[in-house]
Amino acid sequence: MPDPDTGVTGEPAAARPGGDRARTGTGTGPGRLLVAVYAVFALAAGARAGVQIGTKFSDAPLAYSLSAFAAAVYVVATVALARGGRTSFRVAVAACSVEMAGVVVIGTLSLVDRSAFPDATVWSGYGEGYGFVPLVLPMVGLRWLYRTARRARAEG
Amino acid sequence: MTTVLATVIIVVALLIAGYALVTALRGRAMGLPDLIGLGVLEALLVAQAVVGFVKLSGDGGPKHPATFIGYLLAVLVVPVAGAAWGLLERTRWGSAVLVVAGVAVAVMIVRMNQLWSGSA
Repeated sequence: MPDPDTGVTGEPAAARPGGDRARTGTGTGPGRLLVAVYAVFALAAGARAGVQIGTKFSDAPLAYSLSAFAAAVYVVATVALARGGRTSFRVAVAACSVEMAGVVVIGTLSLVDRSAFPDATVWSGYGEGYGFVPLVLPMVGLRWLYRTARRARAEG
Repeated sequence: MTTVLATVIIVVALLIAGYALVTALRGRAMGLPDLIGLGVLEALLVAQAVVGFVKLSGDGGPKHPATFIGYLLAVLVVPVAGAAWGLLERTRWGSAVLVVAGVAVAVMIVRMNQLWSGSA
């Protein structure tokens, strides 16, 4: 039924729970939203690392290298989640796991030794500069991957 | 950085996010109004980039403009990428993508304001 407001056919999402599109992978359905959030962080972390390394790398090489590493993890996670498929699934699990470990380790280090992180990375203070989204994101990502894997198994 | 233009962009971005949120909650895919909104937003962001570079080449602006320029250019990608990614998903989750895009643009403009005024 065409929607008078939007002029498009917007089917309710509930009309196709676990339909065949849902099986195609991690980048569809709610996964679209997850990929969008990951893409925003890939952009934010990437731009931040680019500026840090391009303009003042010698100030804090360790922190800026970690900044670049974080950006790379977000890019890999974004692409892997968006692509779906078996290999991408494994890559996505690895990326989200590294991201989880990264935000916890860097978050802790940045609080223990603030002088080593003069200019925050996205993971400093467990992502406090980004509303703690960097801390929540890998949890949501891993949970989503777990769900899609279970659904795929259930559907054969 | 003109305060008026920045404020208009923030308002438009949040309106798009709010409209998309309602659309998503109603279980509907994104539609023409979303695309028109994103088109307006993109035009405003291009205008801001032009104004921003003109002002940077003058006296105004932050002492270290690299980060500001990064935001100025990166924010241009968001509405286009959001529209493309949202259109691929003809369900409520496509609309949800636009909520992220709208909020992201608003947050980025706020950050740019802070960088410009040197309060961050």
